Amino acid sequence: MSRLLSKDFLSGVMFIAFGLVTLYFGRNLAVGTPVRMGPGYVPNMLSYILLVLGLIIAGFALLKGGEQVEAPQLRPIVMVTIGIIAFGLLFETTGMLPALVALVLLSSLGGTEFKLIEVLGNIVVLAILCVIVFKVGLGMNITVLNGVW
Amino acid sequence: MAMLDHLALGFQVAFSLQNLLYAFIGCMVGTLIGVLPGIGPVATIAMLLPITFHLPPTAALIMLAGIYYGAAYGGSTTSILVNLPGESSSVVTCIDGYQMARKGRAGAALSISALGSFFAGTVGTIIIVLFAEPLTLMAQKFGPSDYCSLMALGLVAAVVLASGSVVKAIAMVFLGLLFGLVGTDVNTGAQRFTFDIPELSDGIDFAPIAMGLFGIAEIVVNLERRMTRSGAIKVSSLWPTREEIRQAIPAAIRGTGLGAILGVLPGGGPTLAAFSSYTLEKKISRNPGKFGKGAVEGVAAPESANNAAAQTSFIPMLTLGIPSNAVMALMVGAMIIQGIQPGPEVMTKKPDLFWGMIASMWIGNLMLVIINLPMIGMWVKLLTVPYRFLAPAILLFCSIGAYSLANSTFHVYQVAIFGVMGYIFSRLGCEGAPFLLGLVLGPQMEEYFRRAMLLSRGDPSVFIQRPISLGLLIATAILLVLMALPSIKRAREEAFQEEEG
Repeated sequence: MSRLLSKDFLSGVMFIAFGLVTLYFGRNLAVGTPVRMGPGYVPNMLSYILLVLGLIIAGFALLKGGEQVEAPQLRPIVMVTIGIIAFGLLFETTGMLPALVALVLLSSLGGTEFKLIEVLGNIVVLAILCVIVFKVGLGMNITVLNGVW
Repeated sequence: MAMLDHLALGFQVAFSLQNLLYAFIGCMVGTLIGVLPGIGPVATIAMLLPITFHLPPTAALIMLAGIYYGAAYGGSTTSILVNLPGESSSVVTCIDGYQMARKGRAGAALSISALGSFFAGTVGTIIIVLFAEPLTLMAQKFGPSDYCSLMALGLVAAVVLASGSVVKAIAMVFLGLLFGLVGTDVNTGAQRFTFDIPELSDGIDFAPIAMGLFGIAEIVVNLERRMTRSGAIKVSSLWPTREEIRQAIPAAIRGTGLGAILGVLPGGGPTLAAFSSYTLEKKISRNPGKFGKGAVEGVAAPESANNAAAQTSFIPMLTLGIPSNAVMALMVGAMIIQGIQPGPEVMTKKPDLFWGMIASMWIGNLMLVIINLPMIGMWVKLLTVPYRFLAPAILLFCSIGAYSLANSTFHVYQVAIFGVMGYIFSRLGCEGAPFLLGLVLGPQMEEYFRRAMLLSRGDPSVFIQRPISLGLLIATAILLVLMALPSIKRAREEAFQEEEG
């Protein structure tokens, strides 16, 4: 069991998965001949190499074991990812300000300490900074708040 | 005296008001972010890449180079003052630098580090000037097969010298090469791995990958660890004593020499240089017991070495178009985005950009010493900003930067996706740097490979028939075989363990 959870075994599995995925999605690309290579020649070649390397890495890890994967903490990565996606969605629809609030709030929730007052302060400071730097300073074409500025 | 003409041209370009300004901004912003704990030069450059896209090419590269030195400089400051290396190349500086600071010699340690770096930077710049032209002329004789083999050597060497598990790093290179192929195939116009997303038909943009892989993933990993920090130390006098200067000078010279050589090697770069020079100082010292207790040489040598290496690692990138480490891969990416194909043509076709950038490296180093030593108090204050304020701010700048690439939120989502990927990589102990190198070299390598095979009518033996290509491939093979030898493997593992500890 522990060998299946070693960093090396899992990364081997990851490389194999990537190799299979690229082979699958590249299946319709013409391979061609070595003289006139089609668009699929090099991707196919690379995918097979990746598969072999993945097998080697995973195989060795099964035989020898290795360093265990640390149990991932889901909160930081999940909150940060949601924060960035929320930023993207809100940026398009409502402008930079709501997007900024969402990103700072969500990513602060991903940390170990969360104090609402501090986060609000951070939001105010960053909002002013971003407007000054990006909108006024660099003159970027950004909507600060849809319909207002 | 062509060399002096080149330098004159370079300084003329670099001393224009606009370029001086961008070098200055680059140095300041780089130091600012480099001082903040937990963000290294790669993440810093990745984060700030979008800002430079709107500048003219020369100014953009000058600013990026400034950011690079600034970030490295800021990293040394945090190593000495709070025992927190901002980047791997200043890990060794922590050992004796922080001890010097605890003895009340923080100012002296900072000055020695800055002046040593400046000396090393000057020597590094001279070396670039001396070697750029002959190397470029040599590279112009290269055919497609030679280039392909050169890239293979560069990739393998970078992997072998710079990362933990060799097989995993090689797999990461291949993964990067595959990601580099996304987009329209130049020869046939076929869409590869674009999933009918129009934004992907020009290939996956380089900046969101770099930001996600290095910036976001780094932040998440830092958020997981509760950042504890030792209190910052007060800086008193910046002047080293005569005794300290006497000890520092020879160490700085040795560090510079070693760093300059190691920097040129693919995968060498600043980190390897810093570690090797520290080991060297310890070996030749008459009193090795003082290392780890605040030895001046333990600051002067690695700090000079990493800066010399930071300079000379530009050589393979500028002359051959081969990045030797992750930072150089970012520079190559920036050049490609600016419409410049890195390689030997840069020097002949864009001499103002080439020599201007080299001259500005020296100016950037000078600026860092002049501006930063007096401002050290301000940087120290920045160190006290808690990470819970910094992390959202960095994420925000990454997101806005990604948006500004093409005024499209598509890039923002890409940052999120590659952030998750980077996080998985770091959990599995797979390094991002080889991936980045593969990604940058992928399209070119395929191009050269296909051209070489076309010219040889499909005969792969062309790679061993041309003497240059054969030599490069033999060197690649030797490197790989060496890595498999048990004695070297063990020594290498020990070296990396020391680095992590």
